[in-house]
Amino acid sequence: MLKTQEYNLNLGPQHPSTHGVFRILLTLDGERVVKAEPIPGYLHRGVEKLAEARTYTQFIPYTDRLDYLAAMLQNWGYVMAVEKLMGIEVPERAEYMRVICGELSRLASHLIAIGTYSMDTGGVTGFELALRERETTMDLLEELTGSRMTLSYARIGGVAADAPEGWLDKVDKFMDKMPAYIDEYDGLIAGNEIFQARTMQVGVIKPETAISYSLSGPNLRGSGVNYDLRKAKPYSVYDRIDFDVPLGTNGDCYDRFYCRLQEMRQIVRILKQAVAQIKEVDGPVIGKVPKVLKPPKGEAYEEIESSKGIIGYYVVSDGSAKPYRIHVRRGSFINLGYLDELLRGVLLADVIAILGSLDIILGEVDC
Amino acid sequence: MFGKGLVKGLVITWKEFWTPKVTIQYPEEQPPVPERFHGRLSIEVDKCIACGMCVNACPNKVIELKKQKVGKKQFLTDYVQNVQYCLFCGLCVEACPKDALHFTAIFNMNQYFYDNLPVVLVQREAPAEPVEKEEPAAKAGSGDKVKPKPKAKVDKSVPAAASEVAAGKAPDKEGQ
Ligand code: SF4
Ligand code: SF4
Repeated sequence: MLKTQEYNLNLGPQHPSTHGVFRILLTLDGERVVKAEPIPGYLHRGVEKLAEARTYTQFIPYTDRLDYLAAMLQNWGYVMAVEKLMGIEVPERAEYMRVICGELSRLASHLIAIGTYSMDTGGVTGFELALRERETTMDLLEELTGSRMTLSYARIGGVAADAPEGWLDKVDKFMDKMPAYIDEYDGLIAGNEIFQARTMQVGVIKPETAISYSLSGPNLRGSGVNYDLRKAKPYSVYDRIDFDVPLGTNGDCYDRFYCRLQEMRQIVRILKQAVAQIKEVDGPVIGKVPKVLKPPKGEAYEEIESSKGIIGYYVVSDGSAKPYRIHVRRGSFINLGYLDELLRGVLLADVIAILGSLDIILGEVDC
Repeated sequence: MFGKGLVKGLVITWKEFWTPKVTIQYPEEQPPVPERFHGRLSIEVDKCIACGMCVNACPNKVIELKKQKVGKKQFLTDYVQNVQYCLFCGLCVEACPKDALHFTAIFNMNQYFYDNLPVVLVQREAPAEPVEKEEPAAKAGSGDKVKPKPKAKVDKSVPAAASEVAAGKAPDKEGQ
């Protein structure tokens, strides 16, 4: 093969296709990537360290800022870890509210994922369409929690507030309309020949590789590995809800994208069931929690299936009102581990397609 | 078939052209704000007992509270929300035992100068004596120190705009 002189190209940190402030130092030979060095850290805020100066409850708003596109899932993972540490029971209604708010968050996140991916591969309309439905989702979340992005909705022992009057019906009605919208994305984005040409057989991750690099979420399932924490280790009330785990076959960019699209259909199913089931459940949305939270000495780890992958919180307590140490296992960060090898040998244009298909969020990468 | 994608896309575009638009022409048109919206804080001064629970609950040290002892009770003199640090999480509102603290629907808190950013919710002087009726009995021995009508004095000392801001009536006057 013809060789040219190698040169370095900095992709990012402020490039829109890096989905935030992410930098990749690419070594290129012509248009082919020889080496790719991911350089995160531009957004680093020391969230884990900040937790040590705050009480357990006060850390909840900070978890929002990790994955601001699906804030509830972050809240949820954190409060579950603290609840495990303290042995707090969560009322049933609160569990349903968490599922509903969490799945709406996941929907909002996936809409951004497929919309921006459409833009990464050259289609702007897909992005605008996805934002339209995301707006409705955010309006619903805003009505429930008071905030649009950083929800701070979960509380240790439950959730902040019950659903307002008529809200559950609104969710139900929106979910009736959602399949038609998903069909629209399916036709417009996934059905587009240019999109298919740019994503099929690009950035293939083999199932064994995905497992050994501990990828998670749609990136893992796109490679055909059936591992979803909601099924594998059911938490909350997921064991009462009937849904499928969409899987890919080739492990390429298209499969990862398509997994998210299919997951949105499952979100509709989950939400419809959850809304129907919560109407049977009455009671408080927050359990009996002491005013000052002082967990016993010890440690706890809890993980949940977030929209970007598995998010896990490791909380260590020394018996005081503030956590001794908190560590967050962030799906996005770990999903990037294979990036260098994945990018070697591909064309520069495919770098964008591959990075977009991993659906990273920099709040979670840098933490 | 080659070109099928193009036709499909155009069909969607055509349909989209005729659906009602969702864009809001802000600021001419104001967006609908739900009841629970986390906007600027507002405080009901009469209800507040200056306990400082909201200050303790805040993760970011946003709230500045100053109080003075008047008789046996605490009197709230200053209450400032440093919005530039606020996470709008709602922990302060939840912590208030007297239900004195609320969120408003005001989301437009921008200011031209950085110094004007903090929202002054309360700014007043404490009365020299307790305002309650039993004050003459309590102050029997120190009659010379009793000032006439402490209540009136309080009212005079509060600038007109600040008192309106304190009552949450004049959000546009703050920081000017
Ligand atoms: S909303 Fe949150 S960050 Fe803002 S003042 Fe209240 S407790 Fe503090
Ligand atoms: S918690 Fe409520 S009563 Fe106590 S100081 Fe704050 S606003 Fe006043």
